Amino acid sequence: MTTISLAGRRARPLISWRMRKLLVGYCYLAPAALCMLATVVVPIVLAIKMSLYNDVLYKPQDYRFIGLGNYVRLLEDPVFWLTLWNSIVWVFGSVVFQFVAGFAAALLLHQAFWGRALVRTLTLLPWIIPGVVVGLIWEWLYQPNYGVINDLLIKAGWMQERVAWLSSPDLAMPAVVFTNVWRGIPFFAIMLLAGLQAIPGELYEAAHVDGAGVLSRFWHITLPLLRPIIVVATATRIIWTFNYADLIFVMTGGGPANATQITSTYTLMQAYSSLDFGYAGALSVVLLLVMLAFTAAYLRITRGVEEVG
Amino acid sequence: MIRRSTPGDFAERLLGGPALWGGLAALTAFALGPFVWMLLTSLKNREELYATPLRYLPVHPTLENYIDAWTSPVTPFSRFFLNSLWVCSVTMVATTVVSVLAGYAIARFRFAGRDALLLIFLATQMFPSVLLIAPLLTQWRALGLIDTYQALIYSNFSFTVPFTVWMMVGYFSSIPRDLEESAMIDGCNQFGALCRVVLPLAAPGIAATAIFAFVVSWSELLFAISFTTETSMRTLSAGLLYMVGQYEVQWGPLSAGVILSTVPVAVLFTFLQRHLIHGLTAGAVKG
Repeated sequence: MTTISLAGRRARPLISWRMRKLLVGYCYLAPAALCMLATVVVPIVLAIKMSLYNDVLYKPQDYRFIGLGNYVRLLEDPVFWLTLWNSIVWVFGSVVFQFVAGFAAALLLHQAFWGRALVRTLTLLPWIIPGVVVGLIWEWLYQPNYGVINDLLIKAGWMQERVAWLSSPDLAMPAVVFTNVWRGIPFFAIMLLAGLQAIPGELYEAAHVDGAGVLSRFWHITLPLLRPIIVVATATRIIWTFNYADLIFVMTGGGPANATQITSTYTLMQAYSSLDFGYAGALSVVLLLVMLAFTAAYLRITRGVEEVG
Repeated sequence: MIRRSTPGDFAERLLGGPALWGGLAALTAFALGPFVWMLLTSLKNREELYATPLRYLPVHPTLENYIDAWTSPVTPFSRFFLNSLWVCSVTMVATTVVSVLAGYAIARFRFAGRDALLLIFLATQMFPSVLLIAPLLTQWRALGLIDTYQALIYSNFSFTVPFTVWMMVGYFSSIPRDLEESAMIDGCNQFGALCRVVLPLAAPGIAATAIFAFVVSWSELLFAISFTTETSMRTLSAGLLYMVGQYEVQWGPLSAGVILSTVPVAVLFTFLQRHLIHGLTAGAVKG
């Protein structure tokens, strides 16, 4: 039986058009997925495994499976609990002051004035320079004998004698928090400035015509319209600050006597200085769990905000 | 129209004039003061640097600290600088290629697990680097990559890629689909449409992504100190810390090093701040 058809002899493609498109998509995704697999997923699995072993780099003879031993040690370690408390002080001290000063900066930079672009760029600088650089600059400013901060405070008559900011147990934490505030103000300034620019000017004009003053316009227009971005920026910043170890590591190394030791620097110290990978692994897993809880809360909050806004 | 004089009007005049200028002056001084002090320090010779009482301005400005830092055989700053330049450039190019492809796939193709994947990229942005140090060190040792550029570059992907993919998805989603579809009707395949139509339109976004990857890897410290042991392999951040660890702290050359490490990112940032800021805030601000 021969059916001759002139039109219908198109070879069916080996894979359908849809499948092919899907395959191309997976090929595009593959490199990114591979990067994440090799640098995030596998290391996390490895960290979980490490946390179950007694794994101190310079004592290979003691390497053995100890189950939850590292976690038990963690619960009994007073320094670990201290670092959790220090983390709370560090995070809230930093974020609250960054937010307030960053908001003020955003309101200032939103005004029209001559040279605005230049001032905006300059005030953002503390945010983009490396953490080590920030740490070293402030170490030098805080330096007891040759630091300019002591000198200025004494000249202003606010202090009688030189203070060793970073090696005093009471002052070290406020000093590193202050440095972190300096660094983080631009972050809030950028985010809130972008939010301010998205508010239509007519709203202010209408309120102005109705006789609303500066404060009432701020309270009834600016704040409610900025709410979504305030929530997102603050939540991101809280998570980021909790994780951030560079600054404290450079400036005090967690000292004096663990006064500035936060959970992330403590984890770093265990892995980098003590080479106790088992314990560092257990701390990493705890950090990871805290992070996941934060992120879940963050997603819930931001989703809620999007539905409202 | 006569406007009633409300108490707000006084606040308004104050905000328009003295408060605005005062606030701006305070803001700029606070942001730049520490840099200025570091710059002044770097221009002082040893005597002026450690003078009591403190001398604010260098009387005999000198560049010897810069020359010292750059050519020192113990802490070869020029070498640190080149190491950073290489590591960050490779990270930047690789991150950009990877995230352009992945961002495009996520923005354009519907596939199972797309939302889950996006969520993973979001969650990994928030991962602390310290968490990865012990396992990555073990991993790179097993692969014999300690003291290599590869270890640093691969490790950088852990924090650049999640963020840049997220940025690229945003950019690609804002480019209308019709353009590629008409290009494909005209005979382009998917890859051709991506290269000829989408990429030119997304160029500013891609530039911002690339700069972002460069700037964050320029700041990277913890991986650099953990995965290198030789002085000649240190990056700028790690090198600066190493300079602190040598003998007593030499604030002269160190301040010069600090200024030298700030300049490249500051210049990049100044040129591209508009794009960069748009990219960083696009996700948070709608419209």
